[in-house]
Amino acid sequence: MDNLASLRFFLPESILTVAVLAMFVQDLLTRRSARRVVYLTAGALVWLAIVAFATLQMPAGTASLFGGLLQHDPLRMFFTWVFLGATLLTIVIAPNSGQISPNRLGEFFALLFALVLGMYLMASASDLLTIYLSIETVSLVSYVLTGFRRGDRKSNEAALKYVIYGGVASGVMLYGMSLLYGLFATTRILGEAGIAAQLSDVTSRIFLAHAFGGQPAAQLALIVAIVFVLAGVGYKIASVPFHMWCPDVYEGAPTPFTAFLSVGPKAAGFAVAIRFFFATFERQLPDGAFAQVGDVPWPAIIGIISAATMTLGNLTALVQTNLKRMLAYSSIAHAGYLLMGLAAASAAGVQSILVYLVIYLFMNVGAFLVVIAVANARGGEQISDFRGLSVAAPVTALTLAVFLFSLTGLPPLAGFTGKYLVFAALVQRGGFWNVILAVIGVLNSAISLFYYAKIIKAMYLDEPLDRTPMRVPRLYTGLLVALAVPLLVFGVYWGPLVRWASTAFGGPTPI
Amino acid sequence: MPFHFANVLVFAAIAILFVLGSLVGGHFLRPHNPTAEKEMIYECGEKPIGQAWYNFNPRFYLIALVFVIFEVEIAFMYPVASVYRSFIEKGQGMLAFLEIFVFVAILAVGLAYVWAMGDLEWVKGLKQDVLKAAREAREQPRKAA
Repeated sequence: MDNLASLRFFLPESILTVAVLAMFVQDLLTRRSARRVVYLTAGALVWLAIVAFATLQMPAGTASLFGGLLQHDPLRMFFTWVFLGATLLTIVIAPNSGQISPNRLGEFFALLFALVLGMYLMASASDLLTIYLSIETVSLVSYVLTGFRRGDRKSNEAALKYVIYGGVASGVMLYGMSLLYGLFATTRILGEAGIAAQLSDVTSRIFLAHAFGGQPAAQLALIVAIVFVLAGVGYKIASVPFHMWCPDVYEGAPTPFTAFLSVGPKAAGFAVAIRFFFATFERQLPDGAFAQVGDVPWPAIIGIISAATMTLGNLTALVQTNLKRMLAYSSIAHAGYLLMGLAAASAAGVQSILVYLVIYLFMNVGAFLVVIAVANARGGEQISDFRGLSVAAPVTALTLAVFLFSLTGLPPLAGFTGKYLVFAALVQRGGFWNVILAVIGVLNSAISLFYYAKIIKAMYLDEPLDRTPMRVPRLYTGLLVALAVPLLVFGVYWGPLVRWASTAFGGPTPI
Repeated sequence: MPFHFANVLVFAAIAILFVLGSLVGGHFLRPHNPTAEKEMIYECGEKPIGQAWYNFNPRFYLIALVFVIFEVEIAFMYPVASVYRSFIEKGQGMLAFLEIFVFVAILAVGLAYVWAMGDLEWVKGLKQDVLKAAREAREQPRKAA
C-alpha cells in the first residue's frame, strides 16, 4: 500500500505524535497555574481517549503499510490495547505518587506518549529497519524517564547503566540485522522479495546453499544472525543474558514508570519477537497449524534462553530484601515463562503469551502500586517496611496478597490461567524437550512461591511496624480493588480472554 | 564456497600482522633520546596548564545539541525545496508543503520548549526544585541507615 493510503491505518500513531507536542505546549501554558497537575492529567487522559477511539475505529483485517515497512493485523491491534491499558494506569498513578515533581509532570506525560508511539510502531514493524528504529525510540525515551528524578543518585545511576547496556544490545542487534541483509539482500521480512518469501522459496534456498559452501554454513550464519537479533529483543523483555540492567533500573526509576516499564515495553518486545519469528520462519498450513521454514532451530534457542531466564530470575529473587528489586527479578522470571509460549512455536503458544500479558498487566502494575502507597506512607521499599500491613491497611494488604499469589500462579487467580495456558501449549506441542521445559517452568513456579510468600508473611504474621491506620489515597485503594477483581474473575472465567487472543493470532486470519 | 571465509581470515591475519610488525619494527629502528619537552602532553603546541581531570561546564553541549537539530532541519528541507516544483506539476504541492510544515512545526515546539525552560541561557543558576531534590536525595540514605 502506498504512503498516502497507509495514513488511514497510521491514525493512532499520528495522533500520538500530536499528543506529544500538545503535552509540551500545555506544560508551557499551565506553568504558572496552581492547578496544573489537574489540568495536565486531564489533558493526558483526553489525548489517551482520542488515541483509544482512533484505535477502536481501525479497520479489521490485514494490510501492508508504507510499502511493507509496517504491518496492520489483529496481532497489532491486540497489543495496542495492552499498551493503552498500561498507559492509562500510569497516567492515573503518576500525579499522586510523590515521585514526579508537579513542575515536570507535563514533560513526563509528553515523554510517556512518545514511548507509547514507539511501542505502537514495535507492534506493527515488519521490516528490519522499522524494528530497529521502533526499539530505539522506546529505548531512548526509557533512558530519559529512568533518570527522571535528576537529583536522585540512584535514578541517575540506573539511567546510565540502562544507556550503556542498551547501547551494547542494540549494537549486537544491528550486527545481526546486517548479517540478515547480507544473506537476503533485503530488509523486508514480508512481501514478495522479503526474507520470509526467500526462505520458503526452494530456488533461493539452493542459491543460499551454493553461496555459502553448502547448507550448514548458510544455516550457521542464519542462526548467528537470529541470536544477535534476539539480543535487542531480549534486552527489551529482560531475558538472560540481557537482564543485567533490570534490577538497577527498576529500583532507580520513579516507581510509576517502573510499573509501566515492566509491562509496556516487555509486551512490545514480545510483539516484535512473535512477528519476527512467526513471519520469517513459520508458515501457516490450511488447517491452522504452523510448519517450519528454512530449518532454523529457533524454538530450541528460545527454549534454552527461557529456561535460563526463569531459573536465574527466581533464584536471585529469593535473596532480595528491597521489594522493587525483588519485583524486578520476578519480572525477569516472568519473561522466562512468557518465552516458553514462544518456544512452543504454535498458535496456542502465542495465544497463551497474549493472555498472560493481559493478566500480567493487572497483577504487576497492582503490585507496584502497593509499593508506591507503602513507600509514600512509611518511607521505604524494603520488605521490613511491609510488616503488619494487614493491621495498618487491610485492603491494601489483601490486594497485594492477591497480586502476589497471582504472580506465583496459584489457582483460582488469573496468574494460574496464564501459566496453565503456557504449559498446556508446550505439552500439546509434544516432544521430549518441550515437556522438560514445562517441568522446569513448574519447578520455577514452586520456587517463586517462597519469595512471594515472604512478603505475605511479613504483612500478616510478623509483628506490626506501626499499628495506626496507614494513609492510602482513596484513588489508589479504588485502583487496587479495580486491578484485583479482574484477577479473581479471569482465574475462573477466562473464556472471553482466550477468544480475544485467538482472534488476534492464528485464528481465522493468518499473520 | 568456503573460499569466501578463507579470504576474510587471510585479510584479518595480514591486517593484524601488519600493525604488530610495523610497531615492533619501529621499536628497533627508531632512535631513543627523550627530553623534557618531548615527554610533555601534546596540546597543539601550547604548554598545558594544570590537570585535565576537572569538572567543566556542559552548557556548550546543550547549545550545540539544539544547534545540530536545526542544522539537520536545513539538511532535510533542502532536498524538498529542490524537488518542490515537480510536486506542484503533479498537483501535490499542498501535500508537500503540509508535510514539511509539520516537520518544521515539531521542531518549533521543541525550540519553544527549550527556550521557555531556560536551557538557552548562557549563564544560569540551579533551579530551586533541582536543589531541593538533590538535598532530599542526600538526606534519604542517612534516614534509612
